[in-house]
Amino acid sequence: MNAATPTVIAIHNARVVPVSGPALARGTVIVRNGLIEAVGADIRVPADAWVIEGDGLTVYPGMIDALSTFGIPDAAPVTTGGGGRGGGGGEQAVTQPIAPPPATTLPARGPEDRPSTTSWLKAADLVKLTDRRLDAARAEGFTTAVTFPPRGIFAGQGAVVDLAGETSGDMVVADSAGQLVTFATAGGFGGGFPNSLMGVMAYIRQVYLDAEHYRDAKQFYAAHPRGVQRPEYDRALEGVLASPRVLFPATRRIDVDRLLRFANELHLKAVLYGLPEGYRSADLLKKADATVLVSLRWPEKARDSDPDEMDNMRALEVRDRAPSTPAVLAKNGVKFALYSGGIDRRADLFRAVKKAIDAGLASEDAVRAMTLTPAEIYGVEDRLGSIEKGKIANLLVTKGDLFQDRTEVKYVFVDGVKFEPVEEPPATGRSGATEATPPTSEVPRGENQ
Amino acid sequence: MRSLAFAVLFICPLLAAQDDSFLIRGATVHPVASAEIQNGSVLVRDGKIAGVGRNLAAPKGTRIVEGKGLHVYPGMIDSGTQLGLAEIGSVRESVDTGEIGKFDPQLRAEVAINPSSEHIPVTRANGITAVITLPMAAGGDGGGRRGGGAGSIITGQAALVHLDGWTWEEMDVKKSAAMAMRFPSIISGGGRFGGGDLPPDIAARFSFTESKKNYETELRELKEFFEEARRYQKAKSANLKGFKTDLKFEAMLPVLEGKEPLVVMASRERAIHDAVQFADQQKVKVIIADPRELGKMGPELKARNISAILGPTLALPLHEDDPYDAPYALPGQFYKAGVKFAFGTFNNEFSRNLPYQAATAVAFGLPYEEALKAVTLNPAQIWGVSEKMGSIEEGKSADLMITDGDPLEAKTQVKQLYIKGKTVDLTNKHTRLYEKYLNRP
Repeated sequence: MNAATPTVIAIHNARVVPVSGPALARGTVIVRNGLIEAVGADIRVPADAWVIEGDGLTVYPGMIDALSTFGIPDAAPVTTGGGGRGGGGGEQAVTQPIAPPPATTLPARGPEDRPSTTSWLKAADLVKLTDRRLDAARAEGFTTAVTFPPRGIFAGQGAVVDLAGETSGDMVVADSAGQLVTFATAGGFGGGFPNSLMGVMAYIRQVYLDAEHYRDAKQFYAAHPRGVQRPEYDRALEGVLASPRVLFPATRRIDVDRLLRFANELHLKAVLYGLPEGYRSADLLKKADATVLVSLRWPEKARDSDPDEMDNMRALEVRDRAPSTPAVLAKNGVKFALYSGGIDRRADLFRAVKKAIDAGLASEDAVRAMTLTPAEIYGVEDRLGSIEKGKIANLLVTKGDLFQDRTEVKYVFVDGVKFEPVEEPPATGRSGATEATPPTSEVPRGENQ
Repeated sequence: MRSLAFAVLFICPLLAAQDDSFLIRGATVHPVASAEIQNGSVLVRDGKIAGVGRNLAAPKGTRIVEGKGLHVYPGMIDSGTQLGLAEIGSVRESVDTGEIGKFDPQLRAEVAINPSSEHIPVTRANGITAVITLPMAAGGDGGGRRGGGAGSIITGQAALVHLDGWTWEEMDVKKSAAMAMRFPSIISGGGRFGGGDLPPDIAARFSFTESKKNYETELRELKEFFEEARRYQKAKSANLKGFKTDLKFEAMLPVLEGKEPLVVMASRERAIHDAVQFADQQKVKVIIADPRELGKMGPELKARNISAILGPTLALPLHEDDPYDAPYALPGQFYKAGVKFAFGTFNNEFSRNLPYQAATAVAFGLPYEEALKAVTLNPAQIWGVSEKMGSIEEGKSADLMITDGDPLEAKTQVKQLYIKGKTVDLTNKHTRLYEKYLNRP
């Protein structure tokens, strides 16, 4: 924490990119008590303000990591769950290692046992200032994250959190951002139901049908308690009903198609995440007026792969074209946000965004996809995502344009508190490579006769 | 029922009298080793071929088999099976393909063969009269059966057996046709069904780094084992006092002396290359078994006169992006490279498909004559028994089939089968089931 930061700050004569409106070549931003008091070209600097001279600096809204586990200690980044058969050359869309069930519980027999479900968990209750990744996240330019409990089919409810605060509770901006669903199977090998993608889908469908019935039964009971048997309390369904939206993983185009139909059938407000094949799914997304979160962790060759093995064409194509997904979505008018996918070094993150820009995404669209759009997707655009009067003073001050190789993150303001980025940890060698990622691999299966 | 009993009573003495001497005449004879003979005859005496040609004279009283409109071929040889060692893959108790331990050269597959296996009559009915039975590691490149022996490198002695006999002794052709071995290889990536649905702890075992480490360890162990065997060989020939017989090393002596080949399971180019190098270093003879690709290994195999046992052609390509016909065309590639090869099915239930595996290769670039050789004469040469079998030539075992056409054609029927001149019953589980359901009321 930087306790010396005064409560009133003026960033004077800097380039200001409010995102909600046109950029100001020379503007001033006044921050008071954690909120943006004023922004504009001709703003008088208050007498009590700590002035930061903005020559050569650019002020952006603080970036929002639209799907993350920042703030939840020891959580691995969210991946899209089971890659399934033919998932393609060792990309990272592999099964998330889910925590083995406690030894005392028997393997689940069916949906009635609510397998791999912790829908009642709230990230807002789990976030801790002690998560060491917060420093790294701020150094990347993130001031906010939509953070989720990462494990299970119904993993739990996300929260919009600021990445600093006096107490852990300070961090929470919105405590109910949505339910995170992954397609994690019970792990096979006697792990119980569900053990296949088919089973996972059937389970999710059953839970939503149960939830609908549960809601009606509860409402009826609340209106007529006398003479009516009370419905059994089910925390799994409570968790599902408390979530204003649901996040589904979509790796391939077929997932996109399947999940859009699925959400439509169950009348769910769904957001798809992952989308390495988003570049060829835009038509489906447009038609369904869908909203998506695109992972910046572009597919790449598995780190520990056989140098003599050739990757198959499908994998190579996805690897080559995945970074064009944001450009294609932007062109087709699909609403999308970008998320880090667990990339925890600034250089790697910027390089990943730069890839999307090089593949045709306009820089402004990239900035929007990491600021105002995620705020809109999670319904907090009245508080976050742009530099406007009255919004939370989450700012990112850079030297140079965002996402360029030489861009420096000078300051980050979280709730009006200034941070200067710490030294980055030494390079891990490959972009987006974190220790928490499970190794990916393929093995030859038995030949069919 | 009664009439059947009568018939049996009458026929039996008749058969016994005729024994294993007869004359087939008027048939088209395909000796394989030489050009076909129209209206030809094959004379069989005491289980051996006594003559091939036109208008052969038979000693008086010789049983005559009229072959008009029919064809005579040598019996086929499947160069890779586990016949007699495994009955039902998924029933553990019936699977006896391998032992525990990395080096088991002292094991002899032959003594474990079950002569009453249901697979034997089924296989035979398509004209296959002899097979190589390989002791094999569990989950190996072959049938993928599990019968112990996971991680084995030298799995034991492969036997060449006739598909007829009450006991394995009666079936025996060559007890130790070769020493069976799986060459250590790096198993990682590239699987056609490579997906991500393995739990991470399992997947980690197949990571390249882990796999390579394992491969290097196995290679070192293999070299050490051969060094020890050579030390044993020296000690034995020096007649050292207190010399102790060790069956493992004893079994390796013929291999070290170059008398017995190593039949090496090596599916990928890299493993084939390794196996060839290993043979060079150790100065041993190798046969490459079940290769799935040839790559650039053609000239090396040819230069060293190394033969191959090609696995099933009716298989899926190794990689998703491979041409659909890669396995069909592989035998043609071996042929063009000038590498001698025979076919093996590396299977039990489908050993009977041996001729169709060869036929598929013909449709994709292999000359027909070569395909026929690869199931008859080539295997006999590769396994070192060409003086005994593999073609219709005087002095060879009378392993013959009489067919109504080309045996590589699926619609051809085997009318009569002889092993060592003895008529072999062609009924089997398939025909029994056929009869059963045909006669369903």
